[in-house]
Amino acid sequence: MKHIAFAAAATLALALPAAALETPRKIVDYDIRVSFDPETKIVEGSETLKWTNPSDAPVGELRFHLYWNAFRNDRSTFFKESGGQLRGDKAETGKGWGYTDVTSMKWDGAELIKGARFESPDDGNPDDRTVLAVPLPRPVAPGETATLAIAWKAKVPKVYARAGYVRDFFMFGQWFPQIGVYEPAGRRRRTDAGWNCHQYHANSEFYADWGDWRVAITLPEKFVVGSAGALVDTKTAGGKKTLTFEQKAVHNFAFTADPRYVVVEDAFDPAKDIPKDEIALASRTLGRSEAELRAGFHKVAIKLYRQPEHGAFDRRHIEAQKWALAWTGLWAFPYPYAQISIVDTPEDGLGATGMEYETIYTTVSLKWMSRWPFTRLFVPETVTIHEFTHGYWMGLVASNEFEESWMDEGINTFTELVMVDRKYGTYLELPPGIGVTNEESNRVSALTQDHDPILSSSWKYATENSYARNSYPQPGTTIQQIRRLLGEQAFWRAFRGYAERWRFDHPTSEDFFDFMRASGNPVVAALIQKTWYGRGWVDFSILTATTRPDDGFTGFDDADKPVNFDPDPKKKPPEKPDEKKHKGPWRSLVTVSRDGDIEMPVNVALTFKDGTTVKRTWDGASGWIKYRVTSSSPLVKAEVDPERRAVLDRNPWNNARFTKKYEGPSAAAKSRTYALHLVEILLSTLWGVL
Amino acid sequence: MSRGFSTAIRHRRLAGVLWLSLLASALVSWFPLKKLFQPMDEGAFREALVKGWDGWGFLSFLVSRGPEIGVALAAVTGAFIVFALLQIFLTGGVLRILIDGRPRPVFARVVAESAGLFKANLWATARFALTAGIWMALLVAVPVALLGKLGKDAPPNTFLPDLAFWWAVVVGAVVLLNVGLRFDLARVALARGDARNARGAYRVAKQSLSGRRLSGIRIVLFWLALGVAVQAVFTSAGLRINPRTNSAVTGLLVFRQFGFFLLAMVRVGFWAALLAWEERRRPAYSVIGSASGGTTWKSSEEIATSAAASASPETGSSVTTNGSALLSS
Repeated sequence: MKHIAFAAAATLALALPAAALETPRKIVDYDIRVSFDPETKIVEGSETLKWTNPSDAPVGELRFHLYWNAFRNDRSTFFKESGGQLRGDKAETGKGWGYTDVTSMKWDGAELIKGARFESPDDGNPDDRTVLAVPLPRPVAPGETATLAIAWKAKVPKVYARAGYVRDFFMFGQWFPQIGVYEPAGRRRRTDAGWNCHQYHANSEFYADWGDWRVAITLPEKFVVGSAGALVDTKTAGGKKTLTFEQKAVHNFAFTADPRYVVVEDAFDPAKDIPKDEIALASRTLGRSEAELRAGFHKVAIKLYRQPEHGAFDRRHIEAQKWALAWTGLWAFPYPYAQISIVDTPEDGLGATGMEYETIYTTVSLKWMSRWPFTRLFVPETVTIHEFTHGYWMGLVASNEFEESWMDEGINTFTELVMVDRKYGTYLELPPGIGVTNEESNRVSALTQDHDPILSSSWKYATENSYARNSYPQPGTTIQQIRRLLGEQAFWRAFRGYAERWRFDHPTSEDFFDFMRASGNPVVAALIQKTWYGRGWVDFSILTATTRPDDGFTGFDDADKPVNFDPDPKKKPPEKPDEKKHKGPWRSLVTVSRDGDIEMPVNVALTFKDGTTVKRTWDGASGWIKYRVTSSSPLVKAEVDPERRAVLDRNPWNNARFTKKYEGPSAAAKSRTYALHLVEILLSTLWGVL
Repeated sequence: MSRGFSTAIRHRRLAGVLWLSLLASALVSWFPLKKLFQPMDEGAFREALVKGWDGWGFLSFLVSRGPEIGVALAAVTGAFIVFALLQIFLTGGVLRILIDGRPRPVFARVVAESAGLFKANLWATARFALTAGIWMALLVAVPVALLGKLGKDAPPNTFLPDLAFWWAVVVGAVVLLNVGLRFDLARVALARGDARNARGAYRVAKQSLSGRRLSGIRIVLFWLALGVAVQAVFTSAGLRINPRTNSAVTGLLVFRQFGFFLLAMVRVGFWAALLAWEERRRPAYSVIGSASGGTTWKSSEEIATSAAASASPETGSSVTTNGSALLSS
């Protein structure tokens, strides 16, 4: 109770509206004109960039991301890190290269590009050209807005990593010269002002300032275009069309083009699409009225740009999108934009699949998943939910993915697993109802040893697997562990508090932890320290579980009289009583152990033959604990964490032990029998050939 | 078909031999499987798994029992090889018993007859694998590669990629059915003694198939479909049974073995139907092979007579003449 009261007070204090922003700080303003030739894949672009110095110090140099130079050759940092393949897709090194060349950059009429140079702040790679440093003839004064005229030429890479083309499908992500983030002192807890403009790494790309965008795209008329933003103007001439889109308050702008797109339109209507039981649950848990929770919701236009052969997935994607809009609106804050665009990538362009940009993202549809028995593999829905929700943890609560990738991917994995399991029950399911939940599929990461703490810059993990584990499932599962430790009310209030406080802002890991630690729960604080900053782990197990008849006192009493035995050496000692005939009492001993350095409380359940179960809570602080129990019925089973709340437990298979008194059915025999049948089925297929 | 069904019922013991070969082969993997699943009776998931499915138990089991799973998979591969060799071995004996027509005694005769035909059947199997590989390469791999090149720029799930997929499935199945049927008929020829070696048997099979391929394939397809149906019914029922007591597990084991026995009966039925088909289309004289290049023939009537008397059909009276001349007469 004391904890809860403190938690509520601390959460409120941290969520003070004075610190939260209603709209983002507008640092940039882009007006981009771009045309591209689908045959040559050449892009010609120009942009007018207004950049405002947010610091109280003059800035003498600007830094830009030239992301597509990652695909310029095999010497880029991106290529070296990825080895030319990402998420199963391989780079086409024959003619699939791409690039971005800034041909001109003018400020106040002065050409700046001559003095520009490439920087490699992360790895010192002299061949990497993804960060352009541009010295200025005079510094931009604090608060001053510099208006730059930039021209560039680019070639679209063949898609294998997020952006690029395959046939006539084009995904334009991170496609234009984008200015880095100049962080004033104090922003993201840094001590002195400076540029935060990282190279394009295989595993990270997002960190930018908010602003308004106007983008005019010229391309052949046959193309259907989907983009971040709303279409405000269309002009056609000479077989080409120019589409102009506008979007306010975002920090990146992506678009896609494909003549094959079928556009499916729908809308999220809060009156119909917020499930009643979900808003009731949120209201109870968050301690806010339903009316308060509904307040920020509004209609959101949904556009699905899908491949013609994927019609079977229309409802699946749109229903998932509506559920994600409802859920995030309730448990974080309502989606602030008027529209969301979903891009269904072609099955031969999966390199572009599963990518998030603000107000637009790519998802996956695989035709075979629309047919029995694969219709309950909720992969398309999960990708839709996951990528949309990135719009929160990368987009609206704009963490620095380069430096703290878990804040984007990990929080997102956590919200994904909650959303998917709540809506679909299982994540992957095959007939007859054999399936695993999303939580379970992520929890697997806790079962193995790793080389890194969760918190690290995305390019500094020991291996690609370590990055993946520590950015996605491990933080997702660890947040789930925090949720279990704090309880539903304290956790979700802290979670929503974090989201609301850092909306339209740039939080750090510590900002998230502040909300989680605000409950004053020392177990949670220690858990954060040991997993985000260390390689902490835990394994609970039952070391021993024995039960035997309690025959009372045997031996000499205080008056040296023999009790329950005959000291006469000529007489035979009495035979050991038959345990089967023993009516009780029984004496049992159970030893529970905790290995690893994460301490947390767990329940221990002792089950007796007469069906009674006794539960005890162990704080898990020491390495082991013994329970000695006298009971009328023999102990049959001892189990630690029977409710499976310790989701970080490394080996759940040693969590229970049965005594010899257990007479229940054998799971091993059952599994063995099914396995034998499976082997026989496999072998008997040979009868079709031999 | 009716001959197939009636023979399958009459030769239940023969089906029993085939079923035993399946069970014995599968048991090669028994001890590794036993060791693999042993911890389930000590772990936290025992009761959940007895009740039914446990997703977390399954996933964590896969991750934590990696080495044991590796050993079990190796044992299953071993079982697969043992079963393949056993089938190559047993087919000759099974066919001889069916040609002979006497349903018992079975076991000793199957083994004895199989041993005599094993080498030739092994060569026939090698030829089948080679032929299947060549035809698959020529009629499936090359066209699919060409279609892939033609459709290099075609979007997925459109005409050319779909054509390549369905070409691979349909033509692949047709190739396997064709090559498999000739392989089966070659083994029939070896069992009948129409040929002394795999090469001769394949020649005889070719002649048997000439002009009647479709009806032969129909037989294969019918019995294949029947086998799949039996397998599907028993697998589905086995999964639904979900036994929760040790005696129910034993019941499931018996039930599933009955399903595999029925499958073995389907196999016997197939061979009987194929023999009947081959017999009906046999010319007045059939080839038993000749090392000299000429061909030895004997009348069907005599085969039936001699087959009843002996497992070796070569003891019947025969005429030596030019095979092709007779076939075309």
